[in-house]
Amino acid sequence: MIRLTIDGQEVTVPEGTMIVDAAARLGVDVPVYCYHQALGPLGACRMCLVQVEKMPKLVTGCTTAVTEGMVVHTKGGAVEKGRKGVLEFLLINHPLDCPVCDKGGECYLQDYTFEYGPGRGRFQEPKIQKVKNGPINDLVLIDQERCVLCQRCVRFMGDYVGEEQLLLEGRGVETVVTTVDHQPATSQFTGNVIDLCPVGALLSAPYYHKGRPWNIDRHSTVCPHCPVGCSSLATTRESHIIRLEGRPVPDRDWGWLCDRGRFGYDFGYHADRIADSWVKERATSAAQATRDVAEWMQQTNAQYGPGSIGFVMGGQFTAEEAHLIKKFAHDVAQSDNVAVMRNVRGYLPAALNGTFQDLTEADTVVFVGVDPYEAVPVVHLKLRDRLRHFSQLKVLGVGPRRLTRDTMPGRDYLVASQDEAVFFARALAAAAKDGPGVQTLVDSVRDYVLPVSDADIEAFGQALLDAEHLSLLWDGENAAMAEVLAVLAGLREKPTAVLPTFGPVNWRGYEQAGIDPRYDNVEELLNKTRTGEIRMLVLWGADLTRDLPDRQLAEQALAKADYVVSAQVVPPLDMPYIDALLPVATWGEVEGTYVNMEGRLSIGAAGVQPPGQARPTRTYVANWGRLFRQDFGLDDEWDPFDSAQGDLISRAGNNHGPAQAVPRPGTRDASQEWTIIEGDWVMENGMPSEILEPRETEFVARVSPEDAARLGIGEHGGYVEAQTAGGTVMIGVQADPAIVERTLWIPRGSRHDWAQHLEGLVKLTRPEEVPSV
Amino acid sequence: MFEGIKAMAQGLGSTFHALGQPRDTIEYPEKRREYSPRFRGKHMLAKDGDGHELCVGCGLCEAVCPAHAIRVVAAEAEDGKAVSWTNRYAVDYEVDMIRCIFCGMCEEACPTNAVRLTPFNELAASDRLEMIADKEELLHPPVRK
Repeated sequence: MIRLTIDGQEVTVPEGTMIVDAAARLGVDVPVYCYHQALGPLGACRMCLVQVEKMPKLVTGCTTAVTEGMVVHTKGGAVEKGRKGVLEFLLINHPLDCPVCDKGGECYLQDYTFEYGPGRGRFQEPKIQKVKNGPINDLVLIDQERCVLCQRCVRFMGDYVGEEQLLLEGRGVETVVTTVDHQPATSQFTGNVIDLCPVGALLSAPYYHKGRPWNIDRHSTVCPHCPVGCSSLATTRESHIIRLEGRPVPDRDWGWLCDRGRFGYDFGYHADRIADSWVKERATSAAQATRDVAEWMQQTNAQYGPGSIGFVMGGQFTAEEAHLIKKFAHDVAQSDNVAVMRNVRGYLPAALNGTFQDLTEADTVVFVGVDPYEAVPVVHLKLRDRLRHFSQLKVLGVGPRRLTRDTMPGRDYLVASQDEAVFFARALAAAAKDGPGVQTLVDSVRDYVLPVSDADIEAFGQALLDAEHLSLLWDGENAAMAEVLAVLAGLREKPTAVLPTFGPVNWRGYEQAGIDPRYDNVEELLNKTRTGEIRMLVLWGADLTRDLPDRQLAEQALAKADYVVSAQVVPPLDMPYIDALLPVATWGEVEGTYVNMEGRLSIGAAGVQPPGQARPTRTYVANWGRLFRQDFGLDDEWDPFDSAQGDLISRAGNNHGPAQAVPRPGTRDASQEWTIIEGDWVMENGMPSEILEPRETEFVARVSPEDAARLGIGEHGGYVEAQTAGGTVMIGVQADPAIVERTLWIPRGSRHDWAQHLEGLVKLTRPEEVPSV
Repeated sequence: MFEGIKAMAQGLGSTFHALGQPRDTIEYPEKRREYSPRFRGKHMLAKDGDGHELCVGCGLCEAVCPAHAIRVVAAEAEDGKAVSWTNRYAVDYEVDMIRCIFCGMCEEACPTNAVRLTPFNELAASDRLEMIADKEELLHPPVRK
């Protein structure tokens, strides 16, 4: 620790701290443009000049590390003169167009010029004209005239994200920030440069000219697009969400968002949004729809007795809404058949659930079936952050495709999804023969043939056991992995953390509300529907046809149920089976708790009114309660927050029984030429977005580059004909080097109907006629 | 009694004296008073010599308005269809004449000198909504008869 004096106040900070950070601890504001704690020092803007005693000239506070006994002055004549000079230079070619600049009112150049700058500039020469409102891509605009060349954006994209898509071009006063080869930036994280830019140079295209700091409201909320649940700020104006910004949480989160989250906030205003109540395919009033549904429920209960109505939670509802549904089902509808919609079979007990802290401390990270860049992008950034500080980070991928990438280099073990658990079990058996439970685990798979050599399997097992801090990301595809992970955690004495990346986004919240989120639960509920034990289905955000891995079961259950009621934001694929479609309020329109993949509770605020007839869950259940003549839904006795636990859910209760053997995977049909694999991809999570349309592609499925060449698919993708057991469908495919040959990757939970019709894929062929896009 | 007659004569005296004096009453609306050119009445939005609006929709008037009487919604002009002198312009510009206290701060805050308070002060309507002046109304300031 080092002691120094800043403006007469003593402060003790760790070695290596920069003067600006030490000053911030004392609450002394040193103006800064280029320095950002996540990106490190650079010293490009010269704004942070401070005076250090015994140094002949002013020094930059962001690049000077503190030393023992240092005496720093951030005020006084010399410093003020220095800052005035720097600002006068920065403003020489600045267009001073604050009235038309979107950053006006929240711009550091304005603020510092007002506070420290000269009253007027002495430069008489004409200003240099550069590109105004040029594109970085379809979502981010650049105004090169306003740029102060702090290079935050360039460093973020290059060093932090690792995708060098922005650069400085030209020399001297002609220097501008632009994209590589003037091609649009394609990274998932380009939107963050808007938040990073201290001036009005990088602007959000959808927010362009939409608001001003004084006519907007900011609501702290949680991004609803993937289980990461990034803390964010929703900007609203006149009951419309017009922007989403990252919300940094001190010591925990830098406030990065991926482009999907940052620009995908508009699903509530999309043309597809359901705003009317539909009963038997006819639009009706909200009151009539509520009455009809209540009547059906009463009728079903009267005819078939308690327990004849099944409730399935899906979508992006809050934990409080899940609790209301659960309570309504139990108290009013007299049914305990409540389940959570699942699209994979895995379940992770809370005791094994790690936090993001485990990523920032990990020395070994294992991706089990999931590529975080696509499924949970901000986790990828968190790992990049770790990699910057700890270059020995060991990254291992286990799954049916390559899961590591250039920005997250590591070793891939290519095993089919169904073999993942076997691979882990065998690896553990090879590395720790006598470990508790290990022999039981591999009992039935000892001689199972894996496509990985025995030496590699043992090396992988050794890597798992030797890791100082092991973090695993798991996509939940292989349910037997839960067993393996529990045994692994038991074997290791050092920290072991698992982060589940599967959905629905708030499944932990639904679990907190008392609904069992296991796949078995929803499967059992639908089996009961298929056998006629349950006569009515209430799907609260759940889309069975789209999400359930067992499509046949979904269709049979939907067809068998007397009544299917579905509360949705956008039309589900279940549409043909639905008797009543209820418009429901969603994220941004209802305040409530979300629990993310690390088991952290955060509040999503309500900022806008739901459109049309869309009502919050509370309104529906309260109205039904009234129609059932039961007082219901008006008291708030349940709170997911537990003051003893803080904002993390309880990890207690790991009463994991004796280890169970990993079941032997069924043999694959060797005659099938193609293997279909699924993966999570935030861009295809079922929520439509008009803003993100330029980023969306019709070619969502992927094949290996070799297969793509064989099928004649161009650089940006193309259509192929897929001949399946059920007929021929046309699918959009692109090449992806992460996919292995003879494998077709499709996004899980895709809105595309064809994704559900690929069972028994025989072959892919080049179509004779290419449909026009 | 003499005192009374005297007082009455005095009173009538000033009445007859005033009869000959020029009158302060203005026979509104046939006749109207002269106002100072600096009188702060209803707002107007000015245009430049080329017919482009001066207002760029920056919203500073909205920010400074102590009565929250102004609402500005800006937008980007389509290429070749410039509304203002730059690519940003005000799609909506509303002044709530009921709320307005005619302090003139909007005029003072305006960086482009687009908002001006005219001497026009004949603000009356039979409907509250009519008292909200929209952009069209403000672009065509009324002339006093």
